[in-house]
Amino acid sequence: MASRGTVQRPNGQTQGKICQFKLVLLGESAVGKSSLVLRFVKGQFHEYQESTIGAAFLTQTVCLEDMTVKFEIWDTAGQERYHSLAPMYYRGAQAAIVVYDITNQDTFNRAKTWVKELQRQASPNIVIALVGNKADLVSKRSVECQEAQSYAEEHGLLFNETSAKTAVNVNDVFLAIAKKLPKNENRTGPGSSGQGIVVSDSNNKPPSRCCK
Amino acid sequence: MLSKEVAPKCIFGAMTFVARCHSGDSCGSNGLPLTPNSISILGQAQFLKTLDHPHLVKLLGVTRGKHERTIVVSEYFHQTLSDQGKLSLEDIVKFMRQILSALQYLHEKSIVTRCLAPDNILITDDGDIKLFNFGLYYMTHGGKSVSFPIGSPKYMAPEVFLHARSAEYTSGVKVDIWSLGIIAAELLLSKSLWDGVQLTQILRKVLSLVNCNAIFARLARECNKFDVYENIPPEIVDFVNQCLKISVHERPMASQLLEHPVFKIYPKKESIIEKVHCLNMVQERKHPLDERDLNEIYYLWQLSGGDVEGELKRRGLIKNKPPILCLPQIVLLEGQILGGEQDQSSMLDLRVAALSLNTLVQRLEPLPLTVYYPLIESSLQLTYASHVESDAAPLPLIIREKDIEYQFLRIMLMKRLIDAYPLKKSELIKEACKDIPPLYRGVIWAIILNVIGDVESVYTEIDKETVTPTDRQIEVDIPRCHQYNELLSSKEGHLKLKRVLKAWVISHPEYVYWQGLDSLAAPFVYLNFSNESVAHACLSAFILKYLYNLFLKDNSEIIREYLAKFSHLISFQDPVLANHLDEIKFIPELFAIPWFLTMFSHVFPLHKILHLWDKLLLGDASFPLFIGLAILQQLRDTLLSSGFNECILLFSDLPEIDMERCVADSMEPYCTTPKSITFRQHEYTHQQSIKQRKNTSPLEMSGLSYTELQAEFCPRISAADLLDLMHHSPQRVLMVDIRPQYEFVEEAAPGSINIPFGTIDFGGANSDSSPLPPSPELSILYNNKGKVVIIIGEEAASAAKVGRLLVKLNFPKVCSLHGGISVLRLCHILVPSIT
Repeated sequence: MASRGTVQRPNGQTQGKICQFKLVLLGESAVGKSSLVLRFVKGQFHEYQESTIGAAFLTQTVCLEDMTVKFEIWDTAGQERYHSLAPMYYRGAQAAIVVYDITNQDTFNRAKTWVKELQRQASPNIVIALVGNKADLVSKRSVECQEAQSYAEEHGLLFNETSAKTAVNVNDVFLAIAKKLPKNENRTGPGSSGQGIVVSDSNNKPPSRCCK
Repeated sequence: MLSKEVAPKCIFGAMTFVARCHSGDSCGSNGLPLTPNSISILGQAQFLKTLDHPHLVKLLGVTRGKHERTIVVSEYFHQTLSDQGKLSLEDIVKFMRQILSALQYLHEKSIVTRCLAPDNILITDDGDIKLFNFGLYYMTHGGKSVSFPIGSPKYMAPEVFLHARSAEYTSGVKVDIWSLGIIAAELLLSKSLWDGVQLTQILRKVLSLVNCNAIFARLARECNKFDVYENIPPEIVDFVNQCLKISVHERPMASQLLEHPVFKIYPKKESIIEKVHCLNMVQERKHPLDERDLNEIYYLWQLSGGDVEGELKRRGLIKNKPPILCLPQIVLLEGQILGGEQDQSSMLDLRVAALSLNTLVQRLEPLPLTVYYPLIESSLQLTYASHVESDAAPLPLIIREKDIEYQFLRIMLMKRLIDAYPLKKSELIKEACKDIPPLYRGVIWAIILNVIGDVESVYTEIDKETVTPTDRQIEVDIPRCHQYNELLSSKEGHLKLKRVLKAWVISHPEYVYWQGLDSLAAPFVYLNFSNESVAHACLSAFILKYLYNLFLKDNSEIIREYLAKFSHLISFQDPVLANHLDEIKFIPELFAIPWFLTMFSHVFPLHKILHLWDKLLLGDASFPLFIGLAILQQLRDTLLSSGFNECILLFSDLPEIDMERCVADSMEPYCTTPKSITFRQHEYTHQQSIKQRKNTSPLEMSGLSYTELQAEFCPRISAADLLDLMHHSPQRVLMVDIRPQYEFVEEAAPGSINIPFGTIDFGGANSDSSPLPPSPELSILYNNKGKVVIIIGEEAASAAKVGRLLVKLNFPKVCSLHGGISVLRLCHILVPSIT
């Protein structure tokens, strides 16, 4: 698990390069998109996280060894009806996290359609991570880790199983995306007042693979 | 003033018990924590509050204390059946009839008391029966939410003991009939059965009756009262034996027992007695509070400082164990807890704390008697307005809502007006504009929303049970909807919200379920918790009025128009803010969808929604736009000094909004903005006016395409509104004619000024030089900044362009005339202008 370091405020040149990325979360409703973001950005978890209507926006900074990556996170509404709004949020996004609930096979199928839509319509270089959330509810699992893993490999996606409730693997997902994102073509963003977390390779195991 | 001797008769009784705690941090199947049992009890008990029967005490309040404690408050009387000495046969039969009529009423509603016993049978001052504590078994889900047994063993039917081991067993209504039989036997023999016998012995005795035929006779022999038994009339003996039938099937229902011959031999003696009683009442002076509804008195008593929990603590009914003693002794790694549990036996306390109304009476003493009877009609036009006003009237709403005197006066008045509905509807609405007393908010909202007719049967007929594809979405949304609220987080609350939502979806086939509807329904379910049909009717009326067509499967056109109109309103009322938001590309699509789609119910906590909707309901369908504007203006300084990211972060986690200020801030622009500015073609209008609209007068506003709406930065005004402004408040308006000068000279609106489109330098809006050529007209324009500036041109695009420019120059209240100069030509108001 990524350790929570001291809070650092990235300010311009002293931190080296700052890259700003737009990241969008997609997936069926009630799979835990908002909870993942809340865990990543504020380190909190609300049992009764209210549903997202339209979309919510948050930012969080991740410090890699030589640079700072600032995520602008668009957390979208999960209900199918809000689908027509989704392109507004994933348009121009450099990264996407497609979330499903490991206790619900339907949400995994829905995640697959999101992946297809992104690969067809989003920017061609978009980094997509497939995330099986609610890993704490192992006893109710209905989507096998292996199944999702091989699907992810087949489609060139990052993959991890997370639990927003217990914080397992949440930061790792964002860190893996930050590492995979191409850094040359990005605009350098201005310093932000958002809190950053220091994550470096030395004190961080590679993203754990739940199946091994 | 009231003389001190007359005190109100009614008192309250409070009892308390502790619900079963869930062990460890166990989760439900959806991964969410289990709802605490005390919350489930609270939800279930709400139905009991609606019961109304002459022989049941009125249940007034169920509240939660610390550590799963539940406190139940109801009407109370000091005398119980156990306090009565030897009773006459007539009295016994009368009591049996009254108890049976209460049981019949309860059993029809599938409520089993399970603890019918002389201690729970109260005798009123008039010598009538009122059953007390009849809801314990029902509210605890058949005892499953508590860890103590319910019911007194002596009066328990044998089948209860036979099934005691099975966890699934729930008692049927006939256990109460058995209890009644034992009570009757005791009264008739005037002897308490099995006095001083140990609990296990009592169980054995009850079970031994199973093989017995004449149970009443056997009971009489057991307590050496066979001589008394032999003198009891045979009909009465038969009645008791009927109640004590071992076979549940053979044991009659309350309704059947009421037909028993015994009640014909000893008929009701109501007629004469009650008349005499009535005459007595006239002479006896009653406290005016005694005429009020008990719920009202209980509510006011609490406001006056009545504190049930405090009172129970003072009298030792609640004893808090020091937390250190409650710590578990062993916690296994799996989460199992051993030792240190709460003392099981202390969890049901049969003692009742009688609470007097003294605090309330003292607080109301200074008020004249007339305040109890506010005049709402008077030939002298001396209406209620001239009545006593509380000192609290000018204070903020949240203080007024807690002020006993203020609420008392409001409740007296509002209740009068509600009772006089529909006759006094307009007065009621006028009063609601001041504020709505929380006690009657549910009813008043329903009246404002025009919920009338037999909503009950409409609701009953809707199929709310059949599974539909929408169910999954509703089911995942409800456990996340305003769950900090006790009622809405209870099992009952979830079920009710689900039924109301399903009923709404089914009764509106043109609409579909959108996430957010749950939040929209929540306030109505909360306010009408025991009246789903009203909640459903209110929701339907509310959506028709404020969210017409917004829940269509494809609502994009409607929502886009809505948001475009919101942008227009911002630029009309606050050009500085509009320019800033436009500059940082902070468009309403990114933040205002949940605002308008749920009428702010997804954005604010329940107590704020209630205050917001109190006012929202009194406005028309355009009012929400002004509330949105007021929210932006409350955050104005932050917004103006922030960029895109900061702005959107601000709205992702909306800061504290002062609701009273927000509502007040929205009133002024709402009242002064011409109606056509916020015109939406998708707004609901009555069928007839839709027909009319098809051939609307060109003077009225008509719908614009989304592209048009988006292309224009400032709103349009209708010619009708322009004429109205010219006629009624010409000082509030300035018309700017942008046609070439020669056309203007020929004919123009009287009082308008001419700034020809061709003379304006649009490229220079950001440079130092003014884009508008210096001229006398320009100084007129600047001197009139703040007035409604109406741009009149030949075609819409150029008028919109000039409008955009003026907004950029921070001119407020800029709009363009819908239909341009040609529409004014139709009105024949154009005159040759003298330059």
